[in-house]
Amino acid sequence: MAWGLALIGVAAVAPLVLPVFLVTTATEVMILALFALSLDLLVGYTGLDSFGHAAAYGLGAYTASLLLLHAGSPLPVAVGLAAAATALVAVPMGWLCTRTTGVSFAMLTLAFAQLLYAVAYKWQSVTGGSDGLAGVPRMAGPFGVTWFTSRTGYYYLVAVCLAASYAFCRAFVASPVGTTLLAIRDHERKAEALGYNARAYKLAAFVAASFFGGLAGALYAPFAGFASPELFFWIVSGQVLIMVIVGGSGTLIGPMFGAAFFLLLEHYLSAVTDSWALVLGLIFIAVVIFVPEGLYGLVRRRPPAVARSRPAPEREHGQPVP
Amino acid sequence: MASPYLECREVSRYFGALAALDRVSMTVERGEIRAVIGPNGAGKSTLFNVLTGVLPASGGRVTFKGWPLTGLSPWKVCQRGVSRTFQFTALFRRLPARENVRLAAQARSSGRWRPLLGGAVRAETARTADLWLERVGLEHVADVPAGLLSHGDQRLLEVAMALAQGPELLLLDEPTQGLSVEETARTVEILRHLLAKGSLTVLLVEHDMEVVFSLADRITVLHQGRVIGDGTPAEVKRLPAVQAAYLGGLD
Repeated sequence: MAWGLALIGVAAVAPLVLPVFLVTTATEVMILALFALSLDLLVGYTGLDSFGHAAAYGLGAYTASLLLLHAGSPLPVAVGLAAAATALVAVPMGWLCTRTTGVSFAMLTLAFAQLLYAVAYKWQSVTGGSDGLAGVPRMAGPFGVTWFTSRTGYYYLVAVCLAASYAFCRAFVASPVGTTLLAIRDHERKAEALGYNARAYKLAAFVAASFFGGLAGALYAPFAGFASPELFFWIVSGQVLIMVIVGGSGTLIGPMFGAAFFLLLEHYLSAVTDSWALVLGLIFIAVVIFVPEGLYGLVRRRPPAVARSRPAPEREHGQPVP
Repeated sequence: MASPYLECREVSRYFGALAALDRVSMTVERGEIRAVIGPNGAGKSTLFNVLTGVLPASGGRVTFKGWPLTGLSPWKVCQRGVSRTFQFTALFRRLPARENVRLAAQARSSGRWRPLLGGAVRAETARTADLWLERVGLEHVADVPAGLLSHGDQRLLEVAMALAQGPELLLLDEPTQGLSVEETARTVEILRHLLAKGSLTVLLVEHDMEVVFSLADRITVLHQGRVIGDGTPAEVKRLPAVQAAYLGGLD
């Protein structure tokens, strides 16, 4: 709790003291943190390794861009509608993908994302083709509100969205539905035998993850000022998966740090060497082998050492109270 | 009263040309503890899997309280009040023992679909979980991940999970499988206590004849997918077909 308050304090003061370019970097870090957070709902909490989460990111970005460019929607409205639209598209997509698990699920989600990439690339008249949509404005309003149009204002908007999303996801994973996802992750057949409709729960997780992934994409387009087909590309799906795994899946917080780690490493290493991806790859390999619980898992207190159940013969039968 | 509590009528299940269940008919009365015995491959586990919707039946039908169970998916069968344990321990291994039982209780609670603000549901199901952990004598390992429990405790945890659902019909698939003599005695003792009330109907698959004869009211004998005997423990012991097929050297 104290930790969280301190973090909020730091985030609130940061733009006032940081150099301008770092405010931009921090905003991007938070957008990617939201993206990684959303994927953790699937990977960490449901045991569904999506290799096509870029679909949500791209859908959010394109929907928001179209609304801002052509419908003149105020920024918060466009962002909210884009996230909702992404969740809506995720319903049929998730319905199909959750028929499978494991590698098949990864391949199906990848296929959907690549399909959307192809659509964004080819549907020139709407998506702008390979150029994408440029000059995405940060439309003011509603009610004449303009504070989020500036660089610092946008930073705060993203920060508020990230904090709210984190709070929602935290409550979600602790809820009856969220705890059921963990059961499905551990033993789907058992969860079914206990009376849980596993597929419906997995679909719920897919839609929730897509909503927040879409929200991240919707915040990215007005941040960068454009949306391009690359947002759908499998590399984006792979990168966000790396952020989740390196940060520590199944923790919500870990993937957010993973996103920050990834982006900052890219920023600073690419200034030094062209082979920054090589360094990142080595780090990824090291994490997977030596710290499978992720970097956040290293920081967090380890679970209590293996507690043993008492050996049976020594136990008195205990009077069960029927 | 017209229809029996649980009825299997001519239930068959084929795996290719092999008839794992060959027109199995049986009825179970309310409050009865019915054991299903038979050698390996007799079709006992297949029967459980067909009853709970894990495997579709190739023919015949199963009704529970007059409602058909055949064709329902496993989770729907469970929501009808039929809970089961698995022959090979099936637990949420990374979650604490208490959370395993709590999830079992939550599955039958009306609040199971809450995506937010589930505090009340959690508290209520956690109380149920603690109650059942205490009843099977596992309260001291409530916070231990299920995967780290001893095999005997894992078997008991499965039983606690099934019972925490408040089922009307309980299917126990070899609850003492792989247990030591002492653990078996303890499990039987606990089961006897829990089942004494008589409000619960139990279908029990078991290899250990001592366990069967000390718990069961009636016994159905399966052999190569067919019912070859049905009756009280004393009657079943005397059946020549049963003696030949299964109990041969027992007495």
